[in-house]
Order: sequence, then structure tokens, then C-alpha cells
Amino acid sequence: MRNLLNFLAKYNHLIVFIILESIALYMLGTANSYHNTRIVRGIRGLAGGFERRVSNVRSYFHLRTISQSLARENALLRTSLDRYRGEQGKVFFSVTDTVLSQRYTYTSAQVINNSVNRQKNFFTVDKGRLHGITPDMAVIADNAAAGIIVGCSDNYSVAMSLLNLDFRLSARFRSNSYFGSLSWDGRDDRHAVLSEIPQHVTFGLGDTIETTGYSAVFPEGVLIGTVSDFEKTGGDFFTIGVLLANDFRQIRHVTVIGSLMKEEQLELENLYK
Amino acid sequence: MINRLARFAIIFVLLILMQILLFNNIQFSGYVNPYIYILFILLLPIEIPAWLLLIISFATGFTIDIFTGTPGMHSAATVLAGFIRPWVLRLSSPRDGYEAGTDPSMLIYGLRWFLIYASIIVFVHHLALFYLEVFRMADFFRTMLRVILSSAFSLSFIVLLEYIRRGK
Repeated sequence: MRNLLNFLAKYNHLIVFIILESIALYMLGTANSYHNTRIVRGIRGLAGGFERRVSNVRSYFHLRTISQSLARENALLRTSLDRYRGEQGKVFFSVTDTVLSQRYTYTSAQVINNSVNRQKNFFTVDKGRLHGITPDMAVIADNAAAGIIVGCSDNYSVAMSLLNLDFRLSARFRSNSYFGSLSWDGRDDRHAVLSEIPQHVTFGLGDTIETTGYSAVFPEGVLIGTVSDFEKTGGDFFTIGVLLANDFRQIRHVTVIGSLMKEEQLELENLYK
Repeated sequence: MINRLARFAIIFVLLILMQILLFNNIQFSGYVNPYIYILFILLLPIEIPAWLLLIISFATGFTIDIFTGTPGMHSAATVLAGFIRPWVLRLSSPRDGYEAGTDPSMLIYGLRWFLIYASIIVFVHHLALFYLEVFRMADFFRTMLRVILSSAFSLSFIVLLEYIRRGK
């Protein structure tokens, strides 16, 4: 007993070290469920308020680019609205049909904290559970894929950025619909990698890459980027470098997209797994 | 004593603010992310008990973790830095030893001594931090390059901050 006490007294710093390091590594290990644990939710609320204030100041410096991108989006929406108006004007059209019901919800939000310089990047947006945001919703910025919501507090949500080593997205060519898996290799914040495209597929530099909608997270046909380079890898596949449409250093206004039919799709798919 | 405590509190707040408002937004080509908040661990008094140093290290790392949303990553790296600090102090001790009641700062023991002392701790801290972040061995050499470049930048900023402190 005496020896034990002596030992403890002599090596107390070692014991403190082991305890603290274990706590830290434990937190690191449970990082995925972290955003939803109760204590951290409170702390994040606090940090969220702080980030909100910083971002308020910062947004003044970006007003020009923000209004430009909003104007661009407006023009795009007006164009597509005109197209629909033209189609519907021809025929009288009023049917209550569950098949034609709304598939996605759109919530506009602002990025209040963001990083691009780490290997696992996340960003925080200023809408949360109270605004109907839940984990696994898609986030787009400037009409191009930006990330996936992974955790929500009452007023804030954290999204896994496309620039995250854990991020996977099913993507395809707009031209020929061959699809592969999009991920980020951690090298450069402007480029991602599209893999699993077989070598018989023909495509060219500059071809558009978009989402497939298979995962039930992103809607079909959301822009991701364009082909910037490619190389043949073993196993008859291409590894394709994708120049991302979004500059993640600049993202500010985002839209969070929730699929109203995701549950139904996943439920059905789980029956056959 | 109270005076000294207040001084460290101010240094702590300033370093944390600088880290999250300024240095977390800095990046050159994706390879360099300076982490200067480790200067706080470097500056704590020489005779501080090892256990207290570890707890302060943990608190510092955890504060950064909260603001960067990386649970445990900075805590783990900073606790490791705090753990090796007593050894590094002993290793790099000047010929006539340390004076009682002083802080291990560049102002007192000079640039040469500070560079040796700081570079070891900054390097170990960055090494732990970047490998914990990637958490795989696939990009071993690329991560090592990031560690070395970022350490060099952090160290330069830390020395710069020490010069600014001396100027005051």
C-alpha cells in the first residue's frame, strides 16, 4: 500500500497525462456522434453565437460577391420559371395527384463558420432543428453540391463539407449518365476525385459532373464540377480529377435540401438488403 | 501572484482569439496551417507542477477544439506537448540553469535557447495533431511535409510574437 502511494506520488503527472489523453482520444473516437451529445450541444450553442457575430462582421467584406451570386441565381430561376409557365399555359392543368407532390424542401441558410485547410472539413450554418433541418440533408451553394448536414442543435447545424476525407457522393456525367463515386483526396480545395468510371466510357475534358440522386440525399442533376484531368488506373477504371464548381473558401449563402421521400425509399431498399 | 495570474489570463485570451480569428483562416496552398496557441504552453512558469501544466494544456486544446469543431484533436496534441515540456526544459537547459521564478521566454533566455526549446515542442504538437487529423497511414509522406512546413511557419510566427512582446 505504502509502495503504491509512493508510486502514485512519484508518477502523478504520468497518471494525469494518461487520464487526460484518454479523454481526448475518446472524444476523437466518438467524433461522429459528437455533434449530437448533450453537453457538446450546449457548448456548440455558445460557440455558434460567437461565430455568428464574427461572420456578421465578415459578411460586409463579401457583399459584392454575394449580390452577384444571388443575381445569377435569380436569373437562372427566372429562366426556368418562364419555361414552366410556357408549358402550363397551353393546357388547363389541375389535378390532385400524390405522385406529382412535392419531393424536396428548400431552406436558405448562411454559412457562419467554415474551413478548407483541414483534412476533414466541416462548416456551420445558421439554421437548426427549429427550422426543420435534420441530419442527412443535402447542402448546395450556388446551385452546386457543397456538403451534407451531420448534426443539428436548435439554431445551428454542422455540415460535412465536400472537402472531407469521409465524404462520399454518387456522381455521373451529365452527357452519358455513367456514374461513379466522388470523394476528396485532401490535396487541393478546388479539386475532387471521381473514381469507378470504367475505361470504355468516352468523355472529354470540361465535361460536366452532376449528382445521381441514388443516395436519396441530393436531388438528381445537381452540379458538382467539370472534368479537369484523368488517368488510367489499374483494374480498368479511370481516376478523374474534377474541378469543383464551388470555391469553398467563398461559400456564404447555401440552400439546405431535405428529401420528403427519403424515409420511404430507404425503408423499401432495406427490405431487399 | 495575482498580477502574474492576470497576465497569463490575458495572454491566453489573446492567443486563443488570434488563433481562431486570424490563423485558422490562414493557409498557403493547403500545406501550411500555423497553430500559434501552443505558445501559451511554452510560456507557463518553469516551476509549474507537471499535473497543473497538463490540465492547463488540456483546457487550452479543448478551447480550440470547441471553436474549430474538432473534438479531442487539439486536446490530445496539446496534452502531449504539455507532457514532454518538462523533459524539453531539462534537455535544453542553459549552462547555469534556470533562474527561480522566471518564465521560459525568449526575453530572458535568448533567441538561440528559445528556438531549440520551442521547435521541439511545436514539432511534437504538430506531428500529433496532423496525424490524428488524417488518421491513416496512406498519405504518410505528404502529411509529414505538412507537419514540417506548418511547424516552420508556426515557429516563425511564435518568434515574431515574442519579439512584439519584447517591444512593448
